[in-house]
Amino acid sequence: MSAEEMASGRLVNSGGGPSLLPWDIGHATHLAVMEPETAFWSLVRKDRLADALTGGELLALYRQKRSAFEQEMALLRFGLSPSAVYFNPTDRCNLDCSYCYIPQAMRQGGEQMSAERLHEALSRLQDYFAGTMARVGRLPRVIFHGAEPLLNFKALRQGIEAFDGRFEFGVQTNATLLTEEMLGFFQDHRVSLGLSLDGPTAEITHDARHAREGRVEVHGAVLRTLEKLRGSRRHSVIVTVTRHNVGVLNEMVELLHGLEVPACLLNMTRCTLEGGRQARVPDHEAAPPFLAALERTHALYRETGRKLVVGNFANILLAILAPTARRLMCDLSPCGGGRAFFAVAANGDLFPCSEFIGLSSFAGGNLFEGGVRAALESPAFAKVIGRDVDRFDPCRRCAIRHFCGSPCPAEAHEMHGGMDRLGAFCAFYEEQTRYAFRLIADGKADDFLWNGWDQGEGMATLLDFAGGV
Amino acid sequence: MNPSDEAPPTQQPDPRSPDAAPRVSPEVISRRKSCTADGVGLSHYILMEESRPK
Repeated sequence: MSAEEMASGRLVNSGGGPSLLPWDIGHATHLAVMEPETAFWSLVRKDRLADALTGGELLALYRQKRSAFEQEMALLRFGLSPSAVYFNPTDRCNLDCSYCYIPQAMRQGGEQMSAERLHEALSRLQDYFAGTMARVGRLPRVIFHGAEPLLNFKALRQGIEAFDGRFEFGVQTNATLLTEEMLGFFQDHRVSLGLSLDGPTAEITHDARHAREGRVEVHGAVLRTLEKLRGSRRHSVIVTVTRHNVGVLNEMVELLHGLEVPACLLNMTRCTLEGGRQARVPDHEAAPPFLAALERTHALYRETGRKLVVGNFANILLAILAPTARRLMCDLSPCGGGRAFFAVAANGDLFPCSEFIGLSSFAGGNLFEGGVRAALESPAFAKVIGRDVDRFDPCRRCAIRHFCGSPCPAEAHEMHGGMDRLGAFCAFYEEQTRYAFRLIADGKADDFLWNGWDQGEGMATLLDFAGGV
Repeated sequence: MNPSDEAPPTQQPDPRSPDAAPRVSPEVISRRKSCTADGVGLSHYILMEESRPK
């Protein structure tokens, strides 16, 4: 035998060779073969697996691309700097949803930022981003979030007017306070609008979302707004999936598709606080109706030619097909908290992500005192940024860890006792990932992504192979 | 960019056409695209833009 024939690295899963893990995707003919570290994957016909792992195109592709994939993942996972801020102009909310990640006491009696203070905050953020995004070629984003940001619309309006053209603005709202005038203002200033709606009927919506005092007509307010937004491509809807609505997700996507909503999130309720845990649906009960709702969106697309993109699932597909094209930065490890974005509370405190706003120990500083740079380097931020699925069990042994990222750090910390613990929805992510691979195997994946998702300037094809072993 | 300002360069066939029928999958499939990483969404907010420039 020659030295070349015995060289280390020629065989799969030994020495310096490729570490390729087969993974069952629940498909009739194909399974996945992956190298987790680089997020390299291939779908291989089951009866050709042995041939694929002992020679042929799969190994040739892997050897050609491994280095590029490794560099790309390193940049995505460790090389980003913030380009967006989730900004709570008030702690308060007029609703009292049991699953909210902001503590009830804050929502009822928390701070409200004055217009002057909000102006100063945007000025400080502008200064920070001027040093980090001057050559990026796009504007930093400020998303007014909550709690309910429209409780402080006057300050918010002044801020958007004063900094128009220096940030891209967005607002996430429950829509109950949204007037015709506000909507016109947001449209005039190209503000992206996210609405929250939890049910296809008023009864289900109100089961999940309560007014703090008296009765607020949440469902009707959102539907009226969505009617006005028909034809716009700058709005989306968040559906928080709980035990109240998990049985009606098909009806939910039918409603949103009928209203021509371009994108929604069907989010499992976050479990950082006890209220969310109480409303949570176990993974094995959540996955079947969730996947059925995805199928329903596909059927609607086939019937009408118009898509309702389910953003959180689309993000899993993107994690597989184009990791750097992810729009959501939760399903990544380390996640985007403190890296791609950070959050500002109504008193100016800075958190890695708004999910941590109720956890005071994760405040990394204050916008008005220490500033952004100090917070980004704080121990509180380092704790979140340091959460790496390559470093703790069972994630470090999981083939799909860089498609899901084991979110969320806040949940891992509060539910499971530390950053080096499993996220809240492990089995649910696994089922989504299997489904995503089945769609790829069947040539349907693009139907679940927005039109032209891979056509933008700067999008490069690193690998595109479909052929024999 | 406002996605409504630009018609999406749709590459997919009309899903209602017969061409959209199921196909036989190749023995090996592997795809990967790459772009500048600029995602900033989280589970509390997302803007899914069509035809966004990279």
